[in-house]
Amino acid sequence: MLAPDGISLSGVCKTFSGRGKVVEALRDVTLSCPKGSFTAIIGPSGCGKSTVMRIALGLEAADAGEVRIAGKTPMEAAKAGETGVAFQDPALLPWRSVRRNVKVPLEVLRQSTTPGIDHIQNMIDLVGLKGYEDALPGELSGGMRQRVAIARALVTQPQILFMDEPFGALDQILRRQMNFELQRIWTETRSTALLVTHGIDEAVFLADRVVVMHANPGRIVDVVDINFDRPRAPTLFSDPAFHKVCDHIAQVLHGR
Amino acid sequence: MAGETLGRWRGIRTTAILLAIWEIVGRLDLVAGGALPGMSEILIRLWVDWGDYPRHIWATLYASTVGFGIGSALGIGAGVIFALSPTTLRLFRGVNIAAFALPPIAIAPILVLTLSGMAPRIALAALGVYFVTMTATVIGLSQADSRTTDVIRAYGGTPWDVLRRVQFRGALPSILAGLRVAAPNAVLGAILAEFGGGGRWGLGAYLLGSLGRGEPDRLWGIGLVATLIAGLSYGVFALLARRTIGATRAVTLNTAVPDAAPVASTPINRIALTLGTIALPFVVWWAFIKLTGVPDLISKTPLGVVDYLFFASTAQSAQTRLLSALAETLPITFMGMAAGLGFAFLLAISSRLFPRAIEAFMPVALVTQTMPLVALTPLLVLMLGRGTSLTLWVTISVTFFPAFVTLAQGLALVPRSAEELPRAYGASRWTEMRMVTIPASLPYLFAATRLTVPRALLGVMIAEWLATGKGLGNLLNQSRGFLDYGMIWTVAAVSVLLSILFYQAVVIVERRVLRRLGMASAE
Repeated sequence: MLAPDGISLSGVCKTFSGRGKVVEALRDVTLSCPKGSFTAIIGPSGCGKSTVMRIALGLEAADAGEVRIAGKTPMEAAKAGETGVAFQDPALLPWRSVRRNVKVPLEVLRQSTTPGIDHIQNMIDLVGLKGYEDALPGELSGGMRQRVAIARALVTQPQILFMDEPFGALDQILRRQMNFELQRIWTETRSTALLVTHGIDEAVFLADRVVVMHANPGRIVDVVDINFDRPRAPTLFSDPAFHKVCDHIAQVLHGR
Repeated sequence: MAGETLGRWRGIRTTAILLAIWEIVGRLDLVAGGALPGMSEILIRLWVDWGDYPRHIWATLYASTVGFGIGSALGIGAGVIFALSPTTLRLFRGVNIAAFALPPIAIAPILVLTLSGMAPRIALAALGVYFVTMTATVIGLSQADSRTTDVIRAYGGTPWDVLRRVQFRGALPSILAGLRVAAPNAVLGAILAEFGGGGRWGLGAYLLGSLGRGEPDRLWGIGLVATLIAGLSYGVFALLARRTIGATRAVTLNTAVPDAAPVASTPINRIALTLGTIALPFVVWWAFIKLTGVPDLISKTPLGVVDYLFFASTAQSAQTRLLSALAETLPITFMGMAAGLGFAFLLAISSRLFPRAIEAFMPVALVTQTMPLVALTPLLVLMLGRGTSLTLWVTISVTFFPAFVTLAQGLALVPRSAEELPRAYGASRWTEMRMVTIPASLPYLFAATRLTVPRALLGVMIAEWLATGKGLGNLLNQSRGFLDYGMIWTVAAVSVLLSILFYQAVVIVERRVLRRLGMASAE
């Protein structure tokens, strides 16, 4: 195994059948994210990038291949509280306050002990929602809801952080802001992060490595190392070197 | 498409299995000494009796069709007016809730007293259609795409232009869906009026006349024909909707009385509006009596009922009889409703645990939505006798199926990501249900309760009227025999008022609870 402490997938295959046709969602996907690294997966719709994440989370079983999360199977890792997850949809429970939504993973993992409770407040502060602890999701803006989802993903202090287009529903300005926030949070927690995204600039700004996928069948076509110094400043977005990397990835993405 | 075909196959398979079990059970006389005959026996009897059927079918069909025509015209017309004028909608809220909540059997004797010939049946059929069609129209019209509405307005279009060019076409699917649900209601209304009307022809009269003769296979044959007619009336509109708009909607009954957005006005105006809302049903009642011109001896105005119940020389005895009837009716209504809702809730919740089993059951539940279940009470009398358990089972059967369909379809709307979140942390199915599914089902549980309140009271009263000889239903039936007109009007008024009261109570609790939980109520 290349990354015993991080995320490692080797030779993962997955086909979906239904409605009379068979879709090869993933063909021989091998990916290894070392501990403490930030990896972004980018690709067109239907390339299976979300399926990679769902398999790594144990929500979907691979047809073939092996998946190891911190050296364990996905379900073992989940039950040991080593993973955190944020979906595209914030998936907040509308009848729970911000604080109680953040608490959900602790309840599932039966970690509702005092240190865990203290950590809830820390996470709410970290995502900048101090003062909104008792608000219901219906009273928050879209960006704030997404930040609750991030706080919830971080509350178990996970070694591995999965994010499936967590900012996909936000507008461009808010998205940039959340990118800076995420970099700050990740720098503080030093978890192994896997981000699935549509945005090339978002992927290049945040990640150490960008994995490019193609569809039909879903497969990895390139892995691009990103070597900008950390912490990365907002000015990076207007750096010519940054644009060069983005252009390169766009070319790989469009198969040129 | 493959999934749909698969579902249909499962439905057919389930139906076939049920029919086979029915046949075996029936042939072996396993239920109450032959009260449930085999399907083949029923069909043979139907063939033998066929000479009787055409006139009965014609009478029921005539009343329900005319009633459907009048009711849907009224419903669509009122819906258009309500959609254009929120004040009118607000003013008619009391009337609309009454139209939704009143148990048809309670006003059947009144209609028979004041109208003649086929008119009572037509009126009851129309009443069953009005509410569903009106609601569907208001909802359809108010859901019009606001951007296209703006286009018409930007070119100086009047509200009428908007209605004609955008809203009405946009509301068509909703209105057709409403008509589809309303059509079987018309058949049910006609049959219920036949129970109470004492006419010679009609499936309801036939059913009632055959009840005393102890011939299960004939009763079942009549039930089968009634169900077929109701089902076909549903099917016609389902087909029409599919043909004209290529879209079919779920078979949910709308249980929410449409509410207007608060009209901005002075407190005095608002108080006047509220008073008008409460007064209007009584005005309608009063106007109905004046218009039909029936003598005061027979028809009672609201004041007449108050006089009968509180000031007349017989007031004391009337109160005693009414209260003892209520003491019998109310507990069993609540028990039956709680049991029906409870079963529906448990089954809908467990459908998340055993999706396959419930998927097979769903078509059966949907079919029963179009069955005039309450009209089939005589069949249950055969199987369960005339005791209290009959009342309970009638109530459970009329509340369970609609509640189950409402809950199951509501739960299917819970977003996948919300359910996956606990699973991503390795939660068990039970934890997932406790944290997500059960709380998420709460709005649908309230919607189901709203829907079942009037049905439960109707079920209990029908069972009491036809079989058990207890409670409000029996009091109504007895008063008919004694020509106690005051009591007939009193029972009708009290049961309608109770229905409205329960409905409003559910709505208030629902608003409180859901607001505290930050949820919206389910339509």
